[in-house]
Amino acid sequence: MSQHPAASIPQVYVLWHPDCSYGERLAQRILRWLRPGNGLGPEVFYRSLPRPGAMRTPPDLPDPSHRTSSGQKRVSNLQVVVVLLEEHMVADWSWRHWIDEAGRHPRTERAIMPVALDATAYNVPARLRDLNYLRPAGLPQSLDSPLDDATFEVVARSLLKQLTEAMCRLILPRPVTAGPAAAESPAAEPTSNAPLPKVNVFLSHAKVDGTVPARRLRDYIYSQTQLTAFYDENDIAFGEAFGQIIRNMLASNDTAAMIAVRSQKYASRPWCRRELSIFRQPQPEDSKDQPEKARRWRLYPSLIVEAMEGSQISPGIPETGNSTIIRWADDAKDLEELIVTTVIRDAMLAAFHSTLGASILSNSTSDGQKHRLVINWLPDAISLLSIQAVRSGETRELLYPGRGLSGMELDTLKEFFPKLELISFEDALLESPGELLL
Amino acid sequence: MSAPATSAPGKTAEQIIAFSISYERDTLLRRGMGYDHLRELLIRLARRILRRRISVAYGGNWRRTEQNFTFELLNLIADEQADSTSGGTDTGRAIGRLYNHSSWPNYLDVTTQVEAQWINSCRVIRVTQQQAGFAGDEVVSDEDAPWKMRFRDPRTMFNAAATLSAMRRLMMGATEIHVPDVPAPEKVPAVAARILLGGGVERYSGFVPGIFEEALATLEHGKPAYILGGFGGAAEVLSDAILAPGTERPERLTLEWHKEHNERLSELLDSSEMFPPPRQFRSTKKLLDDLYAFVLNARADLPNTLRTGLDGPETRELMTTRDIATAVRLVRKGLASSLDIQP
Repeated sequence: MSQHPAASIPQVYVLWHPDCSYGERLAQRILRWLRPGNGLGPEVFYRSLPRPGAMRTPPDLPDPSHRTSSGQKRVSNLQVVVVLLEEHMVADWSWRHWIDEAGRHPRTERAIMPVALDATAYNVPARLRDLNYLRPAGLPQSLDSPLDDATFEVVARSLLKQLTEAMCRLILPRPVTAGPAAAESPAAEPTSNAPLPKVNVFLSHAKVDGTVPARRLRDYIYSQTQLTAFYDENDIAFGEAFGQIIRNMLASNDTAAMIAVRSQKYASRPWCRRELSIFRQPQPEDSKDQPEKARRWRLYPSLIVEAMEGSQISPGIPETGNSTIIRWADDAKDLEELIVTTVIRDAMLAAFHSTLGASILSNSTSDGQKHRLVINWLPDAISLLSIQAVRSGETRELLYPGRGLSGMELDTLKEFFPKLELISFEDALLESPGELLL
Repeated sequence: MSAPATSAPGKTAEQIIAFSISYERDTLLRRGMGYDHLRELLIRLARRILRRRISVAYGGNWRRTEQNFTFELLNLIADEQADSTSGGTDTGRAIGRLYNHSSWPNYLDVTTQVEAQWINSCRVIRVTQQQAGFAGDEVVSDEDAPWKMRFRDPRTMFNAAATLSAMRRLMMGATEIHVPDVPAPEKVPAVAARILLGGGVERYSGFVPGIFEEALATLEHGKPAYILGGFGGAAEVLSDAILAPGTERPERLTLEWHKEHNERLSELLDSSEMFPPPRQFRSTKKLLDDLYAFVLNARADLPNTLRTGLDGPETRELMTTRDIATAVRLVRKGLASSLDIQP
């Protein structure tokens, strides 16, 4: 993956009309999805109630091209504006003017993502109407009565899936195919029908335990997404070949992700472990030819589908590190959607943290850069031991995403790496000489 | 349940930084934020403080709701320790803890089970009616309190509000808790600084908004007050009042405005005329007048009145910023300067 200078560091704004009965709940779901805790993910803000002193319209969006009021430089270089459109906003002339004005900025600075919550959503100023809408499934024909919890859940999940894909179009790196100019404008048409940047999902599973979860996930990926799935049909026999496939995926410019179906015998299958181990190897983002000099490292997301049954027992797998875990149930509806959408979301967050980390590193003093190393995942001992400069003690400061690890996690890492100072992105941003702000 | 705290002069080694924070949906949403943003700000500030082995004080309630800063702080502390919440032993990891000052009758909601669950993370400090100066027949029994509160019994309302005031005053000084059959009393240090944000202006159960009274107590004790006005609520009213030019008194710092906008206060003021005030009791008018005197002082000399440890422009920015990172940076810098706490 080659990040170019114009890679996006978005800041998200969710707009809803105060009379939209479920707008606030949707906005909270969006925030908690894109910012899954501990300061990870892009910042999300709201726009709904009138700003102090105004009659109807919310606070203005900050001018994306300007510095903050105190003159500080912003790290974020793109505003993503998610507009929850329904009859109240459409019929409110003050709001119509507000959103029309908000849409005047170039899309490279401010990407508007309209969301159609009812049939009137398209009756908006032309600037918005011409955009490609997100259309969450499950909405009733009429919204005269409040959504019940079950319906809301369907709508929210569908919206998050579509929003995740739209955000991926903004954030994930695209293969450079049309020369340098194309590479410099990744966010030119963020909500267009442009295909999703390529995400290769490797499905790792132990065939001996059955193939139901892996097959269902593969079928979902093929039928409902534009992702590419690698499915290890033959388990052990062709394990060597799949090891090479993973290496190729990691070396390519596409985004990779792994879903490992952790059934009872998964931990005891050598090639399953090998696949996981290869995939969880950190990769240098710069100085690829001389990894010992690399300052930026990446780890693509891996998601563990916990598919143990009943009272089955299995050894632990240290290679899984801080991977997300989702429990599998054959009868759980829409579980495939949740798993695949989560892994895409995690791929998006990994790319976001890579770009943000690169920005923080580039604003460090040149002396500081020599001893600093930046990673795009939450550190764990296994993954850090794979980086020679950390292992040897040459790296003095390690910058990692989010607000910071808990005291217990820091204590554990300190035992492995006593000379290494672990600095969260948030602390690095606060203490940066350039006083960067998101 | 432990014995109540009593006032005790003298310094202790431990330090406490207090948070005055409450979520007011509308005022925050008008500024483009919600509960999650306030929680993020709280955690970013509190975690750094706790890791410096400084405790935090927060007088929140113990109701199991989705939006409760008491549990946000408790979970934060538990994350830093061993899993003391599930009955395991405390590792003794050197971090601060939560002091939950709770006045009568609010502390009646703190069950033994809750206190036991969080015993390694939190010390509940109960402030009784007697500590507020009530005695004999003036004291409302614990058994009657919930029932009487429901029917807005004048004596119960008056005692509850006066004890709340006393709690805010008492926590600014060092106290001792005498535990039966334990030879040495437990020392609770005084609050060394206070961070204020949000807070209701029209809905409150004391004699003045909690943020106002806690700011006043902090300033009267000469302790640093970090008023984050950019996040709305009573903190913004106070911040605007301080940053306004001239000597004009904002109407939200007047008794008339509060009587007009808080129906409950009018009832409380009526009831307070029926009973003799306890010692050190201050009326709403006196509290607002005293606060306004500090507002005037701050208009003349902002950094030295608020003792933020920041210069004038930085203090103004602290009081007006709506940017979480800026607020965190300035509070950390101020604490480092005023309390010699390394950020």
